[in-house]
Amino acid sequence: MVKPQGKANMHTEAIDPPGISWQRVSPKYVTVRLVQWALGNIVMVLVLSLPLVFVTLGWWLWPPLWLAILVPSAALVLAVWRLVLIPRQVRAIGYAERDDDLLIRGGIFFQRTMVVPYGRMQYVDIGVGPVERGLGLCTLKLHTASPGTNAHIPGLPAAEGARLREQLSARGEARLAGL
Amino acid sequence: MHPASPFVRGWVALAAIGFFFGRDFFERMLQGRPVLEDDFAGRIPWLLAGGGTVLLIAVLGFILTWYFTRYQVAGGYVRVNTGFLFRQQRQARLDRVQAIDIVQPLLARIFGLAELKFEVADAGESAVRLAYLRMDEARQLRATILARAAGVVQDPARPEEAAPEAPEYPVLSVPPSRLVGSLLLSEQSFFVVLGGVASVILSAVTENRGFYFYLIPAALGLAATYWSSFNKGYNFTAAISPDGIRLRYGLLDTQAQTLPPGRIQALRVAQPPLWRIFGWYRIQVNVAGYGAAGSNGEAASRTTLLPVGKLADVMSMLSLVLPDPGTPEPGRVFGAGLSGLDSDGGFITTPRRARLLAPLGWRRNGFAATATALLIRSGRWWRQLVVVPHQRTQSIALHQGPLARRFGVVDLVLHTTAGPVSPRLIQAGTDEARTLFDEQSARARLARKRQTTEHWLAQVVPAAPVAEPVPELVAEPAAPVAVPAETPTEPANKEGQQHG
Repeated sequence: MVKPQGKANMHTEAIDPPGISWQRVSPKYVTVRLVQWALGNIVMVLVLSLPLVFVTLGWWLWPPLWLAILVPSAALVLAVWRLVLIPRQVRAIGYAERDDDLLIRGGIFFQRTMVVPYGRMQYVDIGVGPVERGLGLCTLKLHTASPGTNAHIPGLPAAEGARLREQLSARGEARLAGL
Repeated sequence: MHPASPFVRGWVALAAIGFFFGRDFFERMLQGRPVLEDDFAGRIPWLLAGGGTVLLIAVLGFILTWYFTRYQVAGGYVRVNTGFLFRQQRQARLDRVQAIDIVQPLLARIFGLAELKFEVADAGESAVRLAYLRMDEARQLRATILARAAGVVQDPARPEEAAPEAPEYPVLSVPPSRLVGSLLLSEQSFFVVLGGVASVILSAVTENRGFYFYLIPAALGLAATYWSSFNKGYNFTAAISPDGIRLRYGLLDTQAQTLPPGRIQALRVAQPPLWRIFGWYRIQVNVAGYGAAGSNGEAASRTTLLPVGKLADVMSMLSLVLPDPGTPEPGRVFGAGLSGLDSDGGFITTPRRARLLAPLGWRRNGFAATATALLIRSGRWWRQLVVVPHQRTQSIALHQGPLARRFGVVDLVLHTTAGPVSPRLIQAGTDEARTLFDEQSARARLARKRQTTEHWLAQVVPAAPVAEPVPELVAEPAAPVAVPAETPTEPANKEGQQHG
């Protein structure tokens, strides 16, 4: 059923259907996630550290020093934890093209495996952000008639993304079904 | 469009203006003051002229809107032109129809008018709203659209000939007494009683009578909720015709919905704890054109297939939605889905090892797959059964969090179109869920292959015996759509039903 692919096999988790060779997304996607992480978390930690600065400078009296230290350090620990997880999360993203449907998996702690039949696809999106463009990556998004189908494959090399899009559209047309 | 429609549409604005001036006048009369103050009286012609101009512009706007709204049904499409400054031309394919509703607000009913809503699968606004048509015109148009959508070939000799209305057979109705009972025993009534008791106790303890005044707005809000449920659910009847399922309901504003065969994407039968006393159930559905049921009552009532009904009603509704249940003993399987526990009816439940995660529900949370649909049941007290036909599954996902992994269970989510039903099988054993995941995608694929066309009359429907109490209805051949009208009395009958 599964097309033979020359790429590295990833180990399958308990909830994955057996006998599937997953294709991984580009390792360069880690950089994209790092930039996203930096934008979100560093700003948050800095904002949360402001009271600490003010308290140590003696401008503010209210938050006691221990609280002013505790909050940003907790945020920092969380941020670092997320940072450490990023490479593993990126490695956990996988997709596999079967004859009639596309499988997408993701997540380490909260795992998700999803199957989207080709005939159910309404349209396929390719999105490229500024960082992704610099690295030559793209994000592929599948839409079905259901708002619950949140199927996207991030971090695809641009050529692979284009190939997949054409492939999916062609297969979708061949297996077109109504609602 | 009917010439009276601008006024039926704009009556709210006119009523508001009338109310505003009328109240002012009335208050002055009551207070014994002159109706018009002296310095005010001097300016009266100007004010009247200003008001008149505004009114004239409003009326002119309504009339222009009416004049420039045209519709046409031809060549497999319905076209509507609207607007006179910003023109809009919209056309929708007839075979993409998901549902057709005929709505009659109170005022339109007085004038004998109706609004026709044509739904396609865009999960939001009605694709085409024709407001207002004469009642028989609206019904004629509905019949034409449904006949064309079903794939009835037009007689080339008489292209102007309108399609006859498909005959329909009543299936069930909800008596008003049961509707009132269901409202009294609903979830909100429970909280009303709870709130009432709490407030009595509070006022007794604090000896503060003023406390009751705060309850007045709450009571008014509740009364409005009950009223709207009653108004929407009153005189609910369901009927089957070759065009699909017909639902009619409403006390002041009446609605007649038509759901063509196979347009129901998912279905949920639910039973709140208090309804168990009388064995009542409620059925809600996802239909692509209706969209998500928001806070507004309209969407909520449109997605209700049965506001309250007994087990027999539920079964006959299920047999309409799912003519081929895909199992030799549907009564047992669906019955087990509604009220069963453990493995009766072929259900596979949460494994025993995960009973700590769901101490009450683990014997009930489960699934069963028939040849045509997947049944997901859950809830020990708030019982519910979700039915998803295989060919309606959009995509499937397995979810597993850290705690679920520890217990070796996994959630399986079926994605369907937006609506009140969100099918999710909770806490199934990992192996069972993974098998189901694979089998379900295969089954959905097969079911889709079998269903090849949007024209439901042309479909190769598997001739399956219908399980539940209405075999003679569903066994009725779909042929009457194709024959020209032989029953001139039919519209008259409908008229009586509609306004009855």
